[in-house]
Amino acid sequence: MMRPMVRRLLLVGVTAAALTVAGLAIWRTAAPRPETADTIAAQLRCPACQGESVARSSSPVAAAMREVIATQLAEGRSPEQVRQWLIDRYGAELLSDPPTAGWGLLLWLFPVVATAIGAAVLVGRLRRGQARPRRAPGRLALGRPARAGLTWDLLAISIVALAGVVALASPGRDPEPASDPLADALSLASSLERQERFAEAAAIYREVAESQPISAIRLRLAYCLLRSGQPAEAAETAAGVIDDEPTNPQAVLLLGLAQRAQGLAEASTTLQRFLELDPGHEAAPQVRRLLEQAPS
Amino acid sequence: MSAARRPTAVLLAALAFVLLGAGLAAGLRDESAESSEPGPATVTLDRPAPDLVGSALDGSRFDLTDYRGSIVVINVWASWCAPCRTELPLLAEAARTWSADGVVVVGLNVRDSAEAAQVLLDEAEATNLITVADPTGALAVSWGVRGVPETFVVDRAGRLRLWAQGVVDAAWLRERLGPMVQP
Repeated sequence: MMRPMVRRLLLVGVTAAALTVAGLAIWRTAAPRPETADTIAAQLRCPACQGESVARSSSPVAAAMREVIATQLAEGRSPEQVRQWLIDRYGAELLSDPPTAGWGLLLWLFPVVATAIGAAVLVGRLRRGQARPRRAPGRLALGRPARAGLTWDLLAISIVALAGVVALASPGRDPEPASDPLADALSLASSLERQERFAEAAAIYREVAESQPISAIRLRLAYCLLRSGQPAEAAETAAGVIDDEPTNPQAVLLLGLAQRAQGLAEASTTLQRFLELDPGHEAAPQVRRLLEQAPS
Repeated sequence: MSAARRPTAVLLAALAFVLLGAGLAAGLRDESAESSEPGPATVTLDRPAPDLVGSALDGSRFDLTDYRGSIVVINVWASWCAPCRTELPLLAEAARTWSADGVVVVGLNVRDSAEAAQVLLDEAEATNLITVADPTGALAVSWGVRGVPETFVVDRAGRLRLWAQGVVDAAWLRERLGPMVQP
């Protein structure tokens, strides 16, 4: 049995809780966050596969799209411009979220309209309930209907509580892997390398190597510097790797080539050392030819 | 609400949901793919062709606008794509057969190495095709390519007229290209 005042308070409480949960959910999904190539790719459906985002798909087209996104962002286009460029080519269905126009707008409006209808029905029922003459309290009036009302109230509270728990416990709107600017940058640099744009690739590797001084990245930097006509910095970078790993043949090779590009006499010694470290290296025959051409 | 009226309301609500679902499905459906026909899914278009400027495998520069006045068949392929291997000899043959009619067949080699591409062109006896290298796939993305193989046909006025997803065959070329060559 529940008194009308208690029921009304309960209704207000439930409504307030529902609105709080809804507000929290909207805040968690719509809160602005910086956009990177990966977050843009995560919002796009892979056009070559079912149910995967461009960020997650391993299809060649998705990989190409990721590179296009990274390249366009690096060229100074805004995330919105990049998205629009892709939508112009693949259509609005590329977006994971439906568009806010045409049929897509209907999808967005549907929950609002459904909620409004539900609220209207509820208000109508409450009004009818108030307009109805109150029955005298007694055995006849307070039986099954009141108990049924209590059951519904408890059910509603349980649903709201469940929604609240889900909203609070869920790890936010990050179903896709967290954005990894490092991976974006490396992917772009490697793409630039394939296009033989070594100076641009070197600039990206340099930036990455500052925060992540991994040998592999520093060696890519040295290689791109060498290929883009900056042998002094290439030598310095390769020497830095050799300080950490004195027997890294790739680092010794790049140092030798960079020294040779600068016309330094020690190039031959360094290249000899490379041949001693890794005589079977794929570059070894070419290095031998170089040493034969210019004996020190 | 009375017990007698409740089923009607439930039925009406269910009907509204079904209608809404059907409407959305109809609205979001792909517009013009003619998937019921045999052969590749082909979309008929009529809009200016996107830019296609790049380096050919032989080192020369390719620019689609240089081919205004020709019908250009652009086939998107890669050496790692098995169906492309069956398609390339056919396209090379089509290029030889239709060249007198002003048909040019151009390969767009996506996310592939130049060496692997050249080996396949040699094997398929398709070295007569102009092959534009697209190592990053950026050109393919600028054309809205979904996968390989895909084939686009650009008319003599530089308008994109056909887009086929999947392997094109001799019948497709005859039926689709024939009317464009001799209108």
